[in-house]
Amino acid sequence: MAIIKTIDLVKRYDNSDVLKGITTEFESGTITTIIGPSGGGKSTFLRCLNLLENPSSGNVYFAGIDLTDRHTKLNDIRQKIGMVFQSFHLFDNLTVLGNVVIGQEKVLHRTKEEAIKKADYFLQKVGMLEFRNRSVKTLSGGQKQRVAIARTLAMEPKVILFDEPTSSLDPLMVGEVLNVIKNVVLDHSFTAIIVTHEIEFAREISDRIIYMEDGRIMLDATPKDLFQNPTHPSVKRFLSRFV
Amino acid sequence: MGLLSSQSLLEIIWFLFQKEHTLYFTGLFYTVLIALVGTMLGLLLSIFLTLMRLLENEAKDSALLKVLKWFTRNMGNTYVQFFRGSPLIVQAMIFYYGLASLGVQLNLIVAGIIIVTLNSAAYLSEVLRAGINSIDKGQMDAALSIGMTKWQGYRHIIFPQVLNNMIPAIGNELVINIKDTAVLSVIGVGELFYMGRSVAGTYYRYTESFLIVALLYLVVVLITTRLLDYLVKKVSSEKENCTVCSE
Repeated sequence: MAIIKTIDLVKRYDNSDVLKGITTEFESGTITTIIGPSGGGKSTFLRCLNLLENPSSGNVYFAGIDLTDRHTKLNDIRQKIGMVFQSFHLFDNLTVLGNVVIGQEKVLHRTKEEAIKKADYFLQKVGMLEFRNRSVKTLSGGQKQRVAIARTLAMEPKVILFDEPTSSLDPLMVGEVLNVIKNVVLDHSFTAIIVTHEIEFAREISDRIIYMEDGRIMLDATPKDLFQNPTHPSVKRFLSRFV
Repeated sequence: MGLLSSQSLLEIIWFLFQKEHTLYFTGLFYTVLIALVGTMLGLLLSIFLTLMRLLENEAKDSALLKVLKWFTRNMGNTYVQFFRGSPLIVQAMIFYYGLASLGVQLNLIVAGIIIVTLNSAAYLSEVLRAGINSIDKGQMDAALSIGMTKWQGYRHIIFPQVLNNMIPAIGNELVINIKDTAVLSVIGVGELFYMGRSVAGTYYRYTESFLIVALLYLVVVLITTRLLDYLVKKVSSEKENCTVCSE
């Protein structure tokens, strides 16, 4: 069953179409990676899925609910669609623990004890439990991203959107974050949609890979089909840079 | 003891202080009261004012809501421009005598507090707006992405960071207000300057009376500055002892 579905999604900035009518859907519990050259609309598409970016036209559905409908309570839906950002966007006024607790308390209305227990569990899962009382300002990029992942996981969403989660990291830290992502997505407890430039990582973990260029989905295939027989000339050209 | 021209400046100052210290201290009390309450209420008002000014149109908004937001935003901006663009003394005259002409006779201390509140709100709103703009916008995106409302994002994430950075600016506004309450004497508020002028007129000793007034302002401003430094340090140490907050 499709948990997220888009119909003819268009995003326009100053008369320039960044997304040119994207229609697709994401099955519940699957891992999809979106690859493609920079400026192709991947991140914009991802931000349209939880309406952090308002589409210029078209529709986004989550479990059958139209997010673009004026009457839809977006906050209720967004707690079920987590997002991990390229630049982490941790809450600088809070500690590591505070970052993972606050959404549970203020949005899910969990008790403080319950929220801390969950936070500790997910911090352990991403290997950040020992840093729980540290200010997030003192962490390295890789550590920040792991906290951001724990913050998202603690909300126990149905879908997690990863927006180039390793792009702001230096090469040494990319591996540690990719391992954490791999560990959390591979148990398929949520639907993962990952925008990434890490082609090997995409091949390894994806059920499905979407190739986007120029605001369109140029190819939508299984990793096997995409890597073994990339027929589309743009995809061929793109992949040749990584081989 | 009379006030003879042969007496030294210090003797006259001491004489005036001994005779009229109740008036000076009453004036000082109202000065501090008006400045303190006015700044605090101004801070609260500035939060609403800033939220009005930062209202953004969203794609899902109806045409009517967009017009309402535009109107609210511009009301906030016009308010700030007016209060920052005109002297406090003029605002005091317009407010007090304007209301009086409409038949509303306010208690002078209450009028003084309202005037300082309205004026401070405009200045603090500018500080708050700059503070909000200095915070990485991605933090609001992150707050929205976990299901917080925009208000929750401001309340729990943005404002704590901005207000913490704002403590020195709020203190500065308080110090300015302590001194600026002097202009409220124009509508007859019995604050320190007003009392000083009253004593000066009675004894015809302007320099001496206003030296006492200046000294009292100085003492209060120095104490306020010290208290604010202490507050900043206390907030920092509380941050260190908090398990979830670092600001």
